[in-house]
Amino acid sequence: MMKTVMIKTHEVWLEMLMAGFMSKTANKQILFDFSDILFRHFTWLENELIELNESYSYDRDAIPIKVAYLSDLLHDIVKRLDEIELQLLSSPDKALRSRIATDLNYMRVTLRGMDDEKVTAFNMARKLPQVTLTKEATDALTLFLFEETYKEYELIMIYNYLKAHSNDAYMNRIFQILIDESFFHLKRFGEMGAQMGILGVPRVVMKELYQVEDVVQFLTDGIDEELAAKEECKKLSDAVAKDSSELAHFFDFINHQENYHIALMKDALKHFTREEY
Amino acid sequence: MNVDAQVIEHMMNPKNYGTLKNPDSEGIGKNPENGEKVAVYLHIGKDEEEPYISNIRFQAIGCATTIVAGSMLTEEAKELNFKGIYNLIDATMNLLDKLPSEDAACSEMVALAIKAAVDTYVKRETDLNYPIITYQIANSCVEKEEEK
Repeated sequence: MMKTVMIKTHEVWLEMLMAGFMSKTANKQILFDFSDILFRHFTWLENELIELNESYSYDRDAIPIKVAYLSDLLHDIVKRLDEIELQLLSSPDKALRSRIATDLNYMRVTLRGMDDEKVTAFNMARKLPQVTLTKEATDALTLFLFEETYKEYELIMIYNYLKAHSNDAYMNRIFQILIDESFFHLKRFGEMGAQMGILGVPRVVMKELYQVEDVVQFLTDGIDEELAAKEECKKLSDAVAKDSSELAHFFDFINHQENYHIALMKDALKHFTREEY
Repeated sequence: MNVDAQVIEHMMNPKNYGTLKNPDSEGIGKNPENGEKVAVYLHIGKDEEEPYISNIRFQAIGCATTIVAGSMLTEEAKELNFKGIYNLIDATMNLLDKLPSEDAACSEMVALAIKAAVDTYVKRETDLNYPIITYQIANSCVEKEEEK
């Protein structure tokens, strides 16, 4: 039963995040904050499963989010929170149960009181406010956003799994920084996706990606992938530069952040290979 | 990839993405060049003793083009009997030459994963423990000179 609670929390965390992308009012920050809290619940539940020595995965159902009004999604979220609270009764950890339940109660009350908004995150207009891009640049940005939104979610899940299964404080510090960095990127790309009317929930990550058997190989490949991501950012920055210097600067900024990720991964690699001997 | 409304819809809401509980068969299509792969899961029904795909799901380690190809091809494969599936795979393979490299490699990977799942099912009719079949693609993801 705890496995189900973890899966349901995973789903509602993402649904809340998507609701945050859809909102264009003060609701947005509240929804983002709630989604951050739900992600933390997810990690607590995962840790409980590990302590109980139960196998689990990050599999989940598809999450339908295409709504005309934000209230439609918020109703669904409240329903999911109700279900989670009921299923939480199966948790042997009373303190955890009560900690999560009080958060869920507050969320439900707040969500019910939110002003409604018309949702434009699915209109496929593919236009950013105050920016006019060529067809070619728009297509490149569209593909980039789909690829990278998924990629950031994938990285969050991988680093989270590695962190959950490691007792090495040094490595866990690095994994946490990389999770935080990926969250920032995911939120920025999701925001842009919603503004362009092409918002989608990142697809489920395949088990073999996060159940990493060879951490050294994973980090080595990860550094290569970050280098490739830098190239993609550079290409995109060049493609949009003549139409929007602001957008070009944003992709240069993301590009430069990848240097930091590479340095962190190299640091982790050095530490991990030293630890092995 | 030509980014039109239909393609965007498949990227936003890929059809049949995920796994199936207790699948009757599975198959894998793999790109040996970069490790990308597609896994296909099938539920098989019987219509007057002729097997057909009653449900299908796929998962991928790959790019958005693979997801779009997976979404489109699995949707077409639904409810087809095995003869229909092999026709669909042949038709897809015959189209590959006309596609840009990346699209060709991704579509081939999905088509071969579906073929592998059906072939695995056929093999398991006589050998229950037959391992999941993996087929490797022949097309390369790398741009050809004339595409640059």
